[in-house]
Amino acid sequence: MNVEMLPLQLVGLKENLHAAIRTLRDVGCVQIDDLAEAPEVAARPLSLDRKTLRAQEELGVLVARIEGLLEMLGHTDKDSAHPVAAQPCEAPTAAACLEEARQGLEALLPRVQELTARRDRLQAELSSLPRYETTLRKLLPMIPPGAYDPENVTVGLLVSRTHVGVLDSIGRRIMDLTAGRAEVVASDVDAVTRAMLVVFPAAYTADTESILGQEDVSRLRLPARLGEGPPDVVLEKLHRRMSAIPGELQEIEQALSILAADWIQRLLTWRAVLREEIDSNSVLSRFGETDSTFVLVGWVPKEAFAEVEAALRDEVGEELFIQPLPLTPELKDRAPVCLKNPRPARPFESLVSLLALPRYGHTDPTQLMAFFLPIFFGMILGDVGYGALLLILALFLIRKFDRGVARDVAVVLAMGSGWAIVFGFLYGELFGTLGEEIGMHALWFDRASAEHVSSLLIMSLVVGAVHITLGLLIGIWEAARDRSRSHLLERGGMLLGLISLFLIVAVAVEYLPQGFMTPAIAGMILGIILLGSSLGWLGLVMGPIEFIGLIGNVLSYLRIAAIGLASVYLAKVANDLAGMAGSLLVGIILATLIHALNLVLAAFSPTIHSLRLHYVEFFRKFYEGGGRAYEPFRSTIR
Amino acid sequence: MEVSGLGPGLTAIGAGLAVGLAAIGTGLAQARIGSAGAGVIAEKPEALGTIILLVAIPETMVILGFAVAAMVLLLGG
Repeated sequence: MNVEMLPLQLVGLKENLHAAIRTLRDVGCVQIDDLAEAPEVAARPLSLDRKTLRAQEELGVLVARIEGLLEMLGHTDKDSAHPVAAQPCEAPTAAACLEEARQGLEALLPRVQELTARRDRLQAELSSLPRYETTLRKLLPMIPPGAYDPENVTVGLLVSRTHVGVLDSIGRRIMDLTAGRAEVVASDVDAVTRAMLVVFPAAYTADTESILGQEDVSRLRLPARLGEGPPDVVLEKLHRRMSAIPGELQEIEQALSILAADWIQRLLTWRAVLREEIDSNSVLSRFGETDSTFVLVGWVPKEAFAEVEAALRDEVGEELFIQPLPLTPELKDRAPVCLKNPRPARPFESLVSLLALPRYGHTDPTQLMAFFLPIFFGMILGDVGYGALLLILALFLIRKFDRGVARDVAVVLAMGSGWAIVFGFLYGELFGTLGEEIGMHALWFDRASAEHVSSLLIMSLVVGAVHITLGLLIGIWEAARDRSRSHLLERGGMLLGLISLFLIVAVAVEYLPQGFMTPAIAGMILGIILLGSSLGWLGLVMGPIEFIGLIGNVLSYLRIAAIGLASVYLAKVANDLAGMAGSLLVGIILATLIHALNLVLAAFSPTIHSLRLHYVEFFRKFYEGGGRAYEPFRSTIR
Repeated sequence: MEVSGLGPGLTAIGAGLAVGLAAIGTGLAQARIGSAGAGVIAEKPEALGTIILLVAIPETMVILGFAVAAMVLLLGG
C-alpha cells in the first residue's frame, strides 16, 4: 500500500532551531526537503553560522580519528553486524558525549600510535634481517684473524664485479696508510657482487673513513642494534634478534587486543553519536530562514502528523508554527513514496523496488506480487523433494539473516518452496519420477505424461489470462482515477479484445455455442479499434501490432509449463541414469549429482521467470514506476 | 518408401526446429543485451531490475517457439 503523505511547513524562532531538529530526529518520521525545491515557500536558504561550521569541522576530525583508531585496533565494520553503537553513550547529552570522546581520544591515541609504530618498526626489521644474514654468511669464509682483536675495526664493502678495480685501489691505499698493519680480503658473494673486508687499527678510523668516502662503494651497514664486529659475531647477534622479534610482536598484539576489548565499543558509540551530530548539522543546509525565524518544508505520513505536532509542542513550546500544505499537483509529483504492507508481504517490497518504486498515489503491487509470485514458483517447480530441500535452505537463511535483502529473498524462497510442495503433491512428483516408483500418485494430473501435457499448457494459459486480465482491470481503474483518456482507451481496448478472443477460442473448441462467434469477433475488432485510437493516427498500424503483443503476453505464461517440464525431465534423466548404472553406488552418485544441478536450477529459474512474468507481462498493464523513496530524518543509533 | 512412415519423424524435426531456431534467436538477443546490461550495472547498480527486465524480454521468442512446437506435436502429430 502506498501510504498517504502530507506536505508540511514548519516555522519557528531561530533560538529553537536545535531543539526542533532534535525533536524531529527523535520522532523520526519527517522527511526534510531542500527549501530550494519548494518555490511556494518564501524564505532564503539558511546560512550556517561560524560556530556551527567550526563545530562541524571538529566533529569531522574526531570521526576521522576514531575511524583511524578503529582501524589500528583491527576493527572493521564487517566485524559487527550493525555498524552503529550497540549501547548508548554514557554521557547524558550529545555535547557531553562529544567531550567524553575528545578526552578518551587524547588518552587512547598516543598509546595506540606508540604500539603500532613499534609494531611497524619490528615488522620492518624482521623482514630486513634475513637480507643481512645472506650477505654475512657469504663473508664468513673470508674473516681475517685480526678481526677478533678488540683494538681493530672491521669494515665490509660491496661493489659490482664490473668495478673490482676500485676495491684493489682502496685496499692499496689503506695498506699504505696503515703501513701494512691492515688486513684486506676480498671475495665474490654472488654473480654480480664482490665483497671486501678491511681490518685496521682503530687509530686509523678517521683517515680510512676519508678514503672510503672518496670512492663510489657501498658500505655493509648493519642495524645499530647488532653492533659492530666480525661477521660471525654479528651473525650470531642477528639470529638472537630474529628469534626475539616474534615474541615482542606478540606482546604488542596482546596489548592492542586488550585496548581493543576495552575501547572498541566506546569508540563505536562515539562515532555513531558524532556522525549523527554531523548529519543533524548537515540537514540545516536544506532549511530556509528569515531574519528571526527558520523555515523547513517536508513530508510526513498523514497518520503521523498529529504525533509530530504534539512532540514539537512538548519539546519546543508554542512559539512554533506547523501546518500541512495543500497537496497541489506539483507537490504530488514530488511526494516521497512510503510502502506499508502486511508483514508476510513486506519481503516483496524489495522485489518491487528492484524494478522501480511505484509513483506516489499509484497502485503498490506488493501484495499482488506476494500472492501470485510464490504460486507461480510452486507451479513451475512442483516437486515435493526439491520443494522440501529449498524450504530447509530458505529457513536456514531466514535464521542466518535477521534483516536486509538476503532475508527478503529467503522468505520469498520459503513461500515459493511451500507452494512447490503443494504442487508437487498435485503433480505427484518427488525428485521427478521417483515418487511414482514409491507409489506416490498425482492428486490432479501427472504433468510429465504425454496425455497430460495439453492440460499443463491450458493451465498455464488460463493463469496468464487471469493474471493479465487482473492487470488490465487495475490499469483501467488507475486510468479512470487519473482521468487519463488515452490510457483508458488503450487498456479498455486491450481488455475488450482479450475477452473477445477468449470467447472466440471457447466457441472454436465448442465450449460455447456458435452464436457467440459473431459478437466475439465484433468485440475483438472494437477492442483493437479502441486500442489503436489511443495512439492517434499511428494506431491504424500500431493497434493490431499491440494486440498481437498482448496475445504474446498471455502465451508468455507457457513458460510455467515449459520450465517445469524441463525440470521434470532432468530429474527423470537423473533417476533413469541411476537405474542404468549397474552399480548401486555409481547410480546414487550419478543421481545425486544431476539432482543437485537440477536443485540449483530449481532455485534460480522459477524465481527469475516468475519475476519476469510480473515485471514484463503484469506490471506493464498498470504500473507507474519512478517514485522517490521516503527517507525520514531519524536517529541511526538503536 | 511410404510417406506416412516419415510423418512422425518430420513432425518431431519441425517441433525441434521451432524451439531450436527460436532459442538461437533468443540467445543472440540476450547475449547483446546481457553484455550491455552488465556494463550498465557496473556503473549503476540500482538499474538491476530494469536490466533483468530487458534481458528477459527476448525470452518470449523461445516460449512462442515452444508453443508452436507443442502445437505441432499435439495437433499435427
